[in-house]
Amino acid sequence: MTKVKAMVLTGYGLNCDNETDYSLHLAGADSRRMHINQLIENAQSDSRTVLRNYQLLVFGGGFSWADDHGAGVLMASKMKRHLGEQLKAFVDAGNLILGICNGFQALVNLGLLPGFDGRYVDRKVALTHNDSGNFIDCWVSLKINGQSPCVFTKGIRRAEFPVRHGEGKFYASDDTLKRLFENEQVVLQYAGSDGRPAAGRWPANPNGSLSDIAGMCDATGRIFGLMPHPEAFNHFTNHPDWTRRKLGLARVGKNIDREEGEGIAVFRNAVEYFA
Amino acid sequence: MTFRLEVRLKDELFDASGAGILKKARAYFGFDVDDVRVIRVLTIDAHFDDEQLSRIQDELFTNPITEKSAYTPIQRGFDWLIWVGFRPGVRDTAGSTAREAIEDLLDVTFGPGEAVYTSRCYEIRGKLTEDQVHRIASELLANAAIQQWKVFSGNKWDPEEGIGLLIPKVILRRKPEVKKIPIESDETLKCLSIERNLALQDRDIPVIREYFLREEILRERKTVGLDLPTDVELEYISQARSDHCNHNTFRGKFHYHDLQSGEREIIDSLFKTCIEAPTLMIQEEKDWVVSVLWDNAGVARFDADHHYCITGETHNSPSNMEAYGGAITGIVGIYRDPMGTGKGSKLILGMYGYCVGQRDYQGDLEPHLHPRRLLDGIIEGVRDGGNKSGIPTPYGLLLFDESFTGKCLVFVTALGLMPSRVGGRPSHEKSTSPGDLIIMSGGRVGKDGIHGVTAASETYSENTPAGHVQIGDPYTQKKMHDFLLEARDEDLIGFITDNGGGGLSSSVGESARFSNGCIVHLDRVPLKYEGLNQWEIWVSESQERMTIAVKPEHLDRFMALSRKHAVLSTVIGEYTNSGFLHLKYGEETCAYIRMDLLESDFPQWEFDAQWLPPKMRGFTEPVISEPTDHGALLHAMLQRPNICSRNWIAMQYDHEVQGTSVIKPLVGKERDVPSDAAVIRPVLRSRKGIVVSQALNPVYSKIDTYHMTTATIDEAVRKVLAAGGDPEHLAGVDNFCWPTIEYDPVQNPDGKYKAAQLVRSNRALRDMCLQYHIPLLSGKDSMYIDGNLKGPYGERRKVSGLPTLLFTVSSVMADIQKAITMDVKFPGDLVYVLGETRNEMGGGEYYQMMGQVGLNVPRVYGMEFLPQYLALHQAMESELVSSCHAVTRGGLAVHLALAAMGGALGMTIRLLAIPAAPGLSDSQKLYSESCGRFVVTVSQEKKTLFEKCFSGMKLVRVGVVTESTDFVIQGEDGGTILKEDIRRLKDTWKKPFGDLI
Repeated sequence: MTKVKAMVLTGYGLNCDNETDYSLHLAGADSRRMHINQLIENAQSDSRTVLRNYQLLVFGGGFSWADDHGAGVLMASKMKRHLGEQLKAFVDAGNLILGICNGFQALVNLGLLPGFDGRYVDRKVALTHNDSGNFIDCWVSLKINGQSPCVFTKGIRRAEFPVRHGEGKFYASDDTLKRLFENEQVVLQYAGSDGRPAAGRWPANPNGSLSDIAGMCDATGRIFGLMPHPEAFNHFTNHPDWTRRKLGLARVGKNIDREEGEGIAVFRNAVEYFA
Repeated sequence: MTFRLEVRLKDELFDASGAGILKKARAYFGFDVDDVRVIRVLTIDAHFDDEQLSRIQDELFTNPITEKSAYTPIQRGFDWLIWVGFRPGVRDTAGSTAREAIEDLLDVTFGPGEAVYTSRCYEIRGKLTEDQVHRIASELLANAAIQQWKVFSGNKWDPEEGIGLLIPKVILRRKPEVKKIPIESDETLKCLSIERNLALQDRDIPVIREYFLREEILRERKTVGLDLPTDVELEYISQARSDHCNHNTFRGKFHYHDLQSGEREIIDSLFKTCIEAPTLMIQEEKDWVVSVLWDNAGVARFDADHHYCITGETHNSPSNMEAYGGAITGIVGIYRDPMGTGKGSKLILGMYGYCVGQRDYQGDLEPHLHPRRLLDGIIEGVRDGGNKSGIPTPYGLLLFDESFTGKCLVFVTALGLMPSRVGGRPSHEKSTSPGDLIIMSGGRVGKDGIHGVTAASETYSENTPAGHVQIGDPYTQKKMHDFLLEARDEDLIGFITDNGGGGLSSSVGESARFSNGCIVHLDRVPLKYEGLNQWEIWVSESQERMTIAVKPEHLDRFMALSRKHAVLSTVIGEYTNSGFLHLKYGEETCAYIRMDLLESDFPQWEFDAQWLPPKMRGFTEPVISEPTDHGALLHAMLQRPNICSRNWIAMQYDHEVQGTSVIKPLVGKERDVPSDAAVIRPVLRSRKGIVVSQALNPVYSKIDTYHMTTATIDEAVRKVLAAGGDPEHLAGVDNFCWPTIEYDPVQNPDGKYKAAQLVRSNRALRDMCLQYHIPLLSGKDSMYIDGNLKGPYGERRKVSGLPTLLFTVSSVMADIQKAITMDVKFPGDLVYVLGETRNEMGGGEYYQMMGQVGLNVPRVYGMEFLPQYLALHQAMESELVSSCHAVTRGGLAVHLALAAMGGALGMTIRLLAIPAAPGLSDSQKLYSESCGRFVVTVSQEKKTLFEKCFSGMKLVRVGVVTESTDFVIQGEDGGTILKEDIRRLKDTWKKPFGDLI
């Protein structure tokens, strides 16, 4: 069986490419990092084949173009101008797109999310400054919508990943929010320790996101964007409680059953989608 | 044409940035502010038609969901409006990315002189006087060192004109010119040095003159059309001879005299005797020490295929002037050192240490920036610098002391990772050869940072040129970082070093020593704007630049990679073996200096060092009876600014990026108690880890810097061991910050004492490194941490920072799955204290709280401690330990409580059991800061095995972890002297800075 091919974008201040690429390899993908300019250059020489061999395109985390004019804004502009049609064709061909943190911000600015009515060009939602006014790094609990068509979260009900952003507050008009919930496009919500949505309470909801939204997909479930970082949970020792968990298991004669971090499941779902 | 685009959040959206300013204006000044909203302004100084302008507005800079914008004034309904923009020549990264985006969107290229500038408006509503508004502008929003501002009142607002068009464009109406410097006498040159801010050392002047007046030199200079020295040449010599670059202080000769014992010693170079010598000795026995004492960072082995490198430095003077700019430049700057180590390494971790005056300082003296504002700015600068570089920042320290109101200290530390071989050759080796091209990559050169090195070598005054304040640009540097790693992996790099202090003058000057010469064409150096003089191009410290040696046959590939990564690279010259540093501008030679000039006999700096032991200086133990309210006492200790929670800093710093995090800065059940050390897994497919920690204890310097140093090193070592570090691999980085030690009867009457303090500290460094087998992989010294602050009567008073050593320890652990955190884990676990508590309260937090210093400063008994450390490591390797925590500032009571808080569990401790010197009182056992100690918890079933590891050592079971959340201490007579709910203790501990986010 040929492996699923994944491309992780790099360059212009993106910075999670190595661990995202590593996570994809763990999940069984044939992943490679690709500089945005290399991709554009390839597209200029032969626009039709540039993404043709790939099944998954990842817009990863970082500070693209330093994010001084709104996170992910200039990235979206660059991609739209140089690769807009290729991205559309890539989606139409049944492939997957994942946007993590800065990548999520880019996807909403490109209009690939929420992609209402299969139009993948309209800006309908925004990820804006955290209510605290500051960058925050903390682990969050996430409630995952089992009704959502999202390919990446299949079989996962709850998760814990770190968020690391200054602009992660999900904002949209009431109409848009209503439509997102109706379409089951809301995939992840920040949750309290009881697993229920945080209802806006800090720090469970770390940024003031409306309806605690942490991640969303398009109607097909093949385009997924989220603020938390699953690639940062690639090993069990990434989790803040791992020492306590490991010692607790040892007391009952057990060991940590798998070294792999729980974030890999997100990438494995993408790989298995093509199986 | 000039266009001004103004962008604001829609009214229904919460303005988080405005709310932050509102909160500060109320909290810091007590002003009656009702509302603040922020407007982003882009001033576009270029030609565009209407359609282009609307595309710029709609497609780039306005988010249709959250924002609205206009090319006309958009402000309204305010009482006051403050506009803040950069001063000409200050780095405006957002302006550059805006231009880049416009060029890409419209497929145009900006012409010469065209640009985009960013600025901000703050709409303020509330009853404020004009003076109050100016105060908000100058003390909260803007810093005159880099910014300009205007205040508009609501009732005089012209809604047509708005804020006007303000373009901070640099215009230097001059032709670059090389000046000749007359040197007829030492006096003339001395005057010129002062006039031109060259900071030449008086004792160097005769040597410099002798060189330029020598017959043969005059002859060879004639061949290139030179006679008298040029300004470019003197600037070069000045940079190279500055204390910052040459470490004249540490290489100086110290005449040490102990006034009590009569002991006299002459120490010829502290660097050679106390740093180099022990490190070389230890390198002999430790095969993991790869490269030390010459490169931008020291290199140690991580595994068979990888090395790691580490270095640290300070950025005190610039941060003291402009906190944000100084700090971001500092962290981004230190990140270039690993990039320029060996053939280049990937950045994997950053750390920080801040020493500032009290946050609520209300003293008589006026620091340049209030400590609160200073600290806010420093924290934000390191936040943006680290986060935008994509490098985790999982560890750091903060220390408040009034002595740092004179000059703050900002320490930054960086670790990098490199493959052990590149192109089949060791990656830590590099050289330049004749014929190699000299390439400058990264940013352009402007006037910024000129004389930064010489300014750092001076005491702060009002005349310190503001031009040396810069704003680092992590975006440009991150692109360069990614580019250089790719170039390295293709083996295109012969030599690489960064442009930091001294700019090209240092980087080219030093790299040309390998080939023994160079020729550089200054007119080829890309500039930010026209009109820079040749000497300015040569010494400018414009950031984000590296100097690289590339073989001509690799040039095309190197440049292709540079273009791919959107990084500017320029060939500016060539390495030669001519024996000369040769600089040209067009056809004209502007410098021609023998490479070996700097190795000639410049006089060594000399210092008188007079030591008076603390007793002779009148220090005694204070007279304090036993407290009766131990509960209130512990609460008070936990609220001390140097003990309480500072979580707000750690949470702003990305410590998860790169996916390597193993032990985080905040640990415990509620993830809010500081960890002893950080652990990362830098190679994702390996289980090996790097453990790092840091310590600083400047208050101990009041008593004796020898013991300050030993205690600091011991603390950093213990914290690394507590997390699971390997005692066989302890690598050190020493960062000294010292007040001026040059004696002057008027300006520095205690200079001889301060010099003795430095000697003693270095002796301690040597002794500790030899005892604990710590090679110093890297180190820097930053002298002159003094400031002359304005007093209430128009006088100026000198404030000298306490002598400070920040010591960093790194270690490699074989299996990260054996890492341990400091928080207690399970009820019923046994609590042990390892190491003896002695009567050592001097300089500690308990005495400080009582307004005392004391005499009995903590000491290190290395021969006693080391076996205990090895035994502890054995126990951790055998997985017998549930938690481990080094006892540091505040003593046992504080650190037992922290370990319990971390686990959100109670603890019962019997003071009688604590291993202690005879005759100690309860308060001494609880708050003495004796070195060498750990709190360890162990499960009941591992008790025997654990205790076996420590036979004959000072390890005692002192209590138990309890399900109940009571923190209980039983006194000498068995009665309970303290019983406090651990949740209440934690609330107290979190309270002082709890509302900062």
